[in-house]
Amino acid sequence: MRDTIFLTGATGVIGQALVPLLTVRRDIKKVHTLIHNTPAGSSFEGVTAVSGNVALDEDLGLNDLWLEEIVEDVTVVIHAAADTRFSAPVAELRAVNAGGTQNLLAFASRCRKLRAIVCLSTVHVAGKRTGAIEEEIVEHSAGFVNSYEQSKYEAELLLRDKMKELPISVVRLSTVLGDSRNGEAAKLAAIHQGLRLYYHSLAPMIPGFPSSPVDLIASDYAAAAIAHLAISNFSPGSVFHLCGGQDVLSLDDLLKQTHEAFVRYRPSWRKRSIAAPSIVGLPTFELFAQSVDEVGDNLLRHSVNVIRHFAPQLAYPKTYEDAGCALALASMGVEKPRIADFYPKVIRSLVESGWADQKISTTPEAVAI
Amino acid sequence: MCENSGAFKILMDHSPQPLVGVTAIEYVLGSETVAVGDLETRGLLETPASRLQEFGFHCVRLSREPSYELGLRAARKLLDAASVDPESVEAIFYVGATPLSHAVGTDDPRSVFNYPVAQLQYELELTRAITIGVSQLGCAGLMTAVSLARSFLISHESATRVLCVSSDVLPAGSQREMIYNVISDGACALLVEKGAQKNRILSFHQVTKGYYWDLTTKKNEIAAAYFPTARAIMQDTLRDCGIDWPSVGLILPHNVSLRSWEILLGLVGAPAEILFSDNIARFGHVIAADNWINLRDAVDGGRIQPHDKLLLFTFGFGANWACMLLEH
Repeated sequence: MRDTIFLTGATGVIGQALVPLLTVRRDIKKVHTLIHNTPAGSSFEGVTAVSGNVALDEDLGLNDLWLEEIVEDVTVVIHAAADTRFSAPVAELRAVNAGGTQNLLAFASRCRKLRAIVCLSTVHVAGKRTGAIEEEIVEHSAGFVNSYEQSKYEAELLLRDKMKELPISVVRLSTVLGDSRNGEAAKLAAIHQGLRLYYHSLAPMIPGFPSSPVDLIASDYAAAAIAHLAISNFSPGSVFHLCGGQDVLSLDDLLKQTHEAFVRYRPSWRKRSIAAPSIVGLPTFELFAQSVDEVGDNLLRHSVNVIRHFAPQLAYPKTYEDAGCALALASMGVEKPRIADFYPKVIRSLVESGWADQKISTTPEAVAI
Repeated sequence: MCENSGAFKILMDHSPQPLVGVTAIEYVLGSETVAVGDLETRGLLETPASRLQEFGFHCVRLSREPSYELGLRAARKLLDAASVDPESVEAIFYVGATPLSHAVGTDDPRSVFNYPVAQLQYELELTRAITIGVSQLGCAGLMTAVSLARSFLISHESATRVLCVSSDVLPAGSQREMIYNVISDGACALLVEKGAQKNRILSFHQVTKGYYWDLTTKKNEIAAAYFPTARAIMQDTLRDCGIDWPSVGLILPHNVSLRSWEILLGLVGAPAEILFSDNIARFGHVIAADNWINLRDAVDGGRIQPHDKLLLFTFGFGANWACMLLEH
């Protein structure tokens, strides 16, 4: 039986990489994508884009026509929709990330042919935990670096509670950097903004330790892996870490490689003699951030806030176990791109795209998905 | 002995160098003491006074005298206090952070060539001294001048003494705040001597980053760049001499905000107790003179013991970072 896919978050970083992969698979009959805040329609053959909103209700904002067809036909749900604004109030993020997940589960329970629900999450649900993080949903009280982490954690708890009733697996992604082949980043996320601040000498310090692991993953590989875990090798009740795992850069190495790549791909940057951000303890970083909040102007305040809403994660060093994911992906036949290979490509793509020359906005970030 | 970076360092490493140090320090501040709150009332601050007080600033000293007069008074005070024979001074390095400090101005446009260092040489009867102006280094000027004086003394075998004088007075009615720091008027005179038995220069580092030359458009970038480069230069200076923070007796800072120093200490891993911060509240930032005023006051206050290692750090627009290690 060929699958009918229902994909939420199709315009996000992963969604954009996933759609073309789904359309070329012979084991897929049809793909419905749920589009929020974007005109419906699709540029891909075999893909229908329908308007909706996971946060709205248990019908996901679908009109009756689409609702009936999708509930009738869908066999695989891939839930990628999320509000990824790290700095947004937790209530707003909870409404989309936890509330949206709850709505999706209620919707999925009505899909009669459903065989798989793959929900995308983040490895950062581990929050302020340190050490080795297992591929399992664990309640913890360590706290979170930002509201996004917290809202995704809450969503996972909802998923865990429904795993006995519905065929659910959770795929936690680490930070998605860009395409391993050409380095392109579909959307600029916090890490790309942080790199841009470094490029412009607006990133004085980063909390963490020189040895803090920075786990990054390529978008093309992530998309291929998700398709595999959803369609070819679905495993209900599983949690997967789609991440670098053992193949990570230390924070110190990341900054060195960034500097080298800036110089290599924009030789004129060297003459600025911009120092790499200092790696500092969290209290020192917080004192600096507080000072900028108190007296800095908008540009510096914005710059520090960009860093403040994700980088403190590096002050809670951790590694993500990914043996289960590696085993599940063994039959995919695609080797995981190595960070040392694709990181410079992403920097090159950013530099050559004119990313550095765009004016740094001081307005709040837009809803990502 | 440690020395500046680059080719000069290699040359110095291959030949024994005479010890050079700062043997006498005198300073003069503007005569009017004004509380930070009063500066706000006068419209001379950008940041609320309450915030600057939280950052450690309480008062500043304003001068009605021109910078040259303050410089002359500081230098005369030093020559008298140290009983220096004017004939024994081989050079004067005159430091000013602003162009205004390098001319004894009159209504005549030609007065831009009225150099205060020459007038100082004449007034103080330092007839054998050559005169050199040190400018465009912002608040790093005096530390750089001391390093230049050291090089001068080493390269001139018969020379034994150099007078370094820094003086800056902001024009009346000027803003008294620069990037969240409060500025005083003042002058400082130093005697740099060959064969010095105290405050011997062990190491000096200076980094200039011209990317930050335009203060008016790069204010945020300067504020952000300050910390990582400050950390690097302080670490390099200590590494030069093979020592770490436990071996440093006192940090003699430039008197920027206490908050800024708290952050920098956290960054470099130095304990707060070794920061001599008394003068930040008393008169704030005296342009290029801070480190040396602090050295003088720390000595007078009994905070420094013989052979203590003293780390002096400053930052000047340009942008220039400078760090010197002394042995008392």
